[in-house]
Amino acid sequence: MVKLEEFNILVIDENPDRAAIVERGLVESGYTRVARIGTSHNLVERIQALAPDIIIIDLENPDRDTLEQMFQVSRAIARPIAMFVDQSDASMIHEAVSAGVSAYVVDGLRQDRIRPIVEMAISRFNVFDQLRRERDEAQAKLNERKLIERAKGILMKEKGLSEEDSYALLRKNAMKQNRKIYEIAQSVITAFQLEF
Amino acid sequence: MANKVRLGFVPLVDCAIPVVARAMGFAQQENIDLELVREMSWAAIRDKLSFGMFEAAHLLAGIPIAARLGLGGLPVQNIVVPMALGRGGNAITVSTQLYQRMLEADPNAMLGPRGRSARALKKVIDEDKAEGRPILSFATVFPFSSHNYELRYWMAAAGIDPDMDVNIGVIAPPRMFDSLRNGWVDGYCVGEPWNQRAVFHGDGVIVALKDDIWSRSPEKVLGLREDWAQSNPELVSALVRALVRAAEWADQPGNRVELAHILSEEANVGAPFEVLKASLSGKPVLRPGEPPIDLPDRHVFYRYTATFPWLSQGRWIGEQMKRWRQIPQDTDLKAVIPDVFRPDLYRTAVAGLDVLVPQDDWRIEGAADAPDRSLVGMDQFLDDTIFKAEF
Repeated sequence: MVKLEEFNILVIDENPDRAAIVERGLVESGYTRVARIGTSHNLVERIQALAPDIIIIDLENPDRDTLEQMFQVSRAIARPIAMFVDQSDASMIHEAVSAGVSAYVVDGLRQDRIRPIVEMAISRFNVFDQLRRERDEAQAKLNERKLIERAKGILMKEKGLSEEDSYALLRKNAMKQNRKIYEIAQSVITAFQLEF
Repeated sequence: MANKVRLGFVPLVDCAIPVVARAMGFAQQENIDLELVREMSWAAIRDKLSFGMFEAAHLLAGIPIAARLGLGGLPVQNIVVPMALGRGGNAITVSTQLYQRMLEADPNAMLGPRGRSARALKKVIDEDKAEGRPILSFATVFPFSSHNYELRYWMAAAGIDPDMDVNIGVIAPPRMFDSLRNGWVDGYCVGEPWNQRAVFHGDGVIVALKDDIWSRSPEKVLGLREDWAQSNPELVSALVRALVRAAEWADQPGNRVELAHILSEEANVGAPFEVLKASLSGKPVLRPGEPPIDLPDRHVFYRYTATFPWLSQGRWIGEQMKRWRQIPQDTDLKAVIPDVFRPDLYRTAVAGLDVLVPQDDWRIEGAADAPDRSLVGMDQFLDDTIFKAEF
């Protein structure tokens, strides 16, 4: 019986941040032999050298077409590899596809040993997506605040309003037009840019 | 309410049919809201179709056959093919260095018919063997691609063993061009615009076109999940009609410049307009800096029954799988192919329209004097093979 830490897991990802998150999740669950690689032109040779039992790769990675070659009984690889699809568990297939995870395993590994690894990858991909969404939202918020600051500055300079009055003017117009304050701020900036 | 159909495609010239179906309103006329999803890998498209993220897909003709046979490490997936998506525009491109070596090794072979240019490659390979140099590397786009079978056919006809004399790997189409530029491969077989692009950049030379190998070799097809097709027969017919109409539009010489504009958009193929135009106008450039050659049939989307899912073409793909030992020699292709290629669905969809359909679902392929020559166009293998597999 192969112990957890004896699985050789390879994470292939063009996104080093996501690969790191997946790797950390696996290591924390007791899988210590985890390697990760990005895009490389000699993928087949590198995989041969690393001899993984399981490969985790994002579903849309173009390297997957190269991996498919290894399904062929060929001189390229000593151990046959197959895509992991747990047919007894339709919801898991759905979760994996929507999270964008695919997994390849060497022949002969038991499904119940692989499933927790794939589940871990799915949850880590989802965590990464969540983080990315939060970061994008934070970035968008910051940009909105910057727009409002600039519009306030323009109103103070051009209309001689105080900072509070400038903000109040933006807010009043936003409410009246049923738009967001930063949208009004953008209109103010555009309008004044046009004049110069 | 329009019927929503999600269709995955790979950025290649032959995604033109679904792209045109949406852009020119043919899908809308059939009350279909066609959502196109651009994918960078064949494996991703196959999986998203198999597991329900797409209803339809632009697929290599070999993928649904491989899926039905449970090849490629996946459990059996039942995908059906109600139509073909044109004849594609494949070519074999080699690096300029390899081209020079081929030219020096056998100038006569390089002047003769392009289908036979591999004779020069054979001499280069023999030289390398004698000198103990490492073997050359070639790439195709997928193990079950017509590109793989065309490249192997071209090589084998010149006495090259594609499994021993060269290294044939797989690279997704959008990455091909960089692989050649960076010297990771010495040549490849891929669809346009990835050949023409290498020539325009001065990194590659086209040594054989699909037409030089076998003009009727099947290329991309429309793939549908069988269970979805069974529960939505009217929608399948409407989708096929929309795509056949789009193919007819894309085939008109007068529409090719507009087609090149549509395809050059980033959401579609996203390649330079000039590169797409050269290929689509039937004026491909084979060698950097040289004038284009005249080849009106370089891209065929509709004429010559290019959208009909011929059983005999599907069978040819299956026989290539046998030839290169991807499937057991006793695989019953006569039984399998008609489950996958479904000319009956095509006939139902276009019934009553002015679409030319052949009388039979299969034909003897490669016969120079075939009576249906005006219907199917040029039909010749580079080695004059007659491919006869009855159904």
